[in-house]
Amino acid sequence: MSDASTGGEVESDHDHDHHRLEGPGYATPQAAIEEGGREKLAYVMSLYVGTDVDAPDFVAVVDLDPDSETYCEIVDRVELPNRGDELHHFGWNACSSSCHVEGLERRHLIVPGQRSSRIHVIDAADRRNPELETVIEPEEVYEYDLSAPHTVHCIPEGEILISMLGDADGDLPGGFLELNDDFEIEGRWEPPGEIEMNYDYWYQPRQNVMVSSEWAAPKTYYPGFDLDDVEAGNYGQRLHFWDWEDGTVEQTIDLGEEGLIPLEVRFLHTPESTHGFVGAALSSNVFHFWRDEESGEYRAEKVIDFESREHDDWDMPVPALPTDILISMDDRYLFGSNWLHGEVWMYDISDPSNPRRADSLSVGGTFGEVQEVQGRELNAGPQMIQLSLDGERLYWTTSLFSSWDDQFYPEEGEQGSVMLKADVDPRNGTMTLDEDFLVDWGECPAGPARAHEIRWPDGDCTSDVWQ
Amino acid sequence: MTSHDVTLEWPDGRTRTIAVREEETVLEGAERADVALPFGCRTGACGTCTGRLLGSEGSEPTATAIETGRLDVGDAFSYRRRPRALKDRHREVGYVLLCVAMPRTDCRLAVGSSVHTELVDNPWK
Repeated sequence: MSDASTGGEVESDHDHDHHRLEGPGYATPQAAIEEGGREKLAYVMSLYVGTDVDAPDFVAVVDLDPDSETYCEIVDRVELPNRGDELHHFGWNACSSSCHVEGLERRHLIVPGQRSSRIHVIDAADRRNPELETVIEPEEVYEYDLSAPHTVHCIPEGEILISMLGDADGDLPGGFLELNDDFEIEGRWEPPGEIEMNYDYWYQPRQNVMVSSEWAAPKTYYPGFDLDDVEAGNYGQRLHFWDWEDGTVEQTIDLGEEGLIPLEVRFLHTPESTHGFVGAALSSNVFHFWRDEESGEYRAEKVIDFESREHDDWDMPVPALPTDILISMDDRYLFGSNWLHGEVWMYDISDPSNPRRADSLSVGGTFGEVQEVQGRELNAGPQMIQLSLDGERLYWTTSLFSSWDDQFYPEEGEQGSVMLKADVDPRNGTMTLDEDFLVDWGECPAGPARAHEIRWPDGDCTSDVWQ
Repeated sequence: MTSHDVTLEWPDGRTRTIAVREEETVLEGAERADVALPFGCRTGACGTCTGRLLGSEGSEPTATAIETGRLDVGDAFSYRRRPRALKDRHREVGYVLLCVAMPRTDCRLAVGSSVHTELVDNPWK
């Protein structure tokens, strides 16, 4: 069912002024900050894949309203029909990039299974009680010689684009799968052969550009992280800049050995900007990229370098592994997580070429100064992060990927993940851990679960794009 | 219809013998018997369903084979699709992808989620 024909049914979790907009979202990033209101619910990918718990992965609905009796609790679980999906990243059918499209609503969550290649469509018209609506089975996806769905963004006008990391065999090349506004597969978005490796992507439509990053072939990263694969060149180190209208790669930048495994890639929110950042997880660096106006070409430069640290229990220095980054809605700060070290950080990016460390918290992971919250052992470092629209609350979960968790934080599978929160003072550039906040996936009815990506019901810092 | 007795052994000592037909995979046979095993892609790409061969009929392992962990998976199973998630070093010591492996003889398998975690170590620790 198309969301273009169902105007007015969504119960918005906030009460912003929609009068000047015909479609979903907010007119500008600043309007999102002003009108979005405080996040009162979160949707969180929750998973049992790869454990002995005989239950399917689920979408957790978490109560974030401090005035609610069920604050910090999982108040609803959307159980999926099959086991083994590995829920990972997800997205909306529409965001602020469609704010001019009359009748279109931010209503359906597109929830892929990273291992199963199954794509779920969840109707979130009732924000507290979303319901599974449609399932696209793996066989339908394999027909397009694609597998391993990852990042979901909407295309303005109602279509949905999903980065796919492998071919039908879990080998290279990956590509992009397009769904129409009835949640049917439209086909491959790009002509096959544009890229080999794929991972995350972001688009900046006013600049007619999309950027995509590289993890590896699914058959390489699925079973776990093997240094032999790094030496064999099986992990990515390139960024691809696409013509957004044509769906073709215009430029590829090789980040070199300082840019190994470039994962989360974000443009600034202001639609005028050609600046963005990508975290090179394995090399533990952050790169700034931008379009050089003279040549018209994109350039990338390392701007943050996290040093490895010695630990008595480790044979080799421990890399930081910055596995997630995001940009605050006001484009003032870059936030990120160093999953292995156990750190969340915020850098002032008011001069994007020269990020300035504002603050960080040492929590969880290998070196975190805080190793338990409310008596709950953290068992892993901060991983997927999400920021409130007003930039005053940073939340994170602790699972990276089931098989990689098992390698680096084996207790997480037995104890489950947690969601934590820091209060942020964006005026002064500081963060404080909120020890009153804890959501514990160890308490789930079927058994301890992992928790990965986080989204707010009405847009967030990692899903909204502006035309 | 030919089937083979496959004995599943969990790390906690629990065992269960199921009859797996020639043309079905161990995972499908387990599902038919209502036994829950871990799995992910079901195509041989991801390794979540990994089991390890402990012994098979007609080729009960010699002491050396047990010591070196070298059991011939090829005699015990036929693969429906190539096991892409396993490297040679895994196949040589008896790891089997149960989502694509069809038994050719009675055999014993180590199963459960701890088996797939043996495929890789923390490379820095």
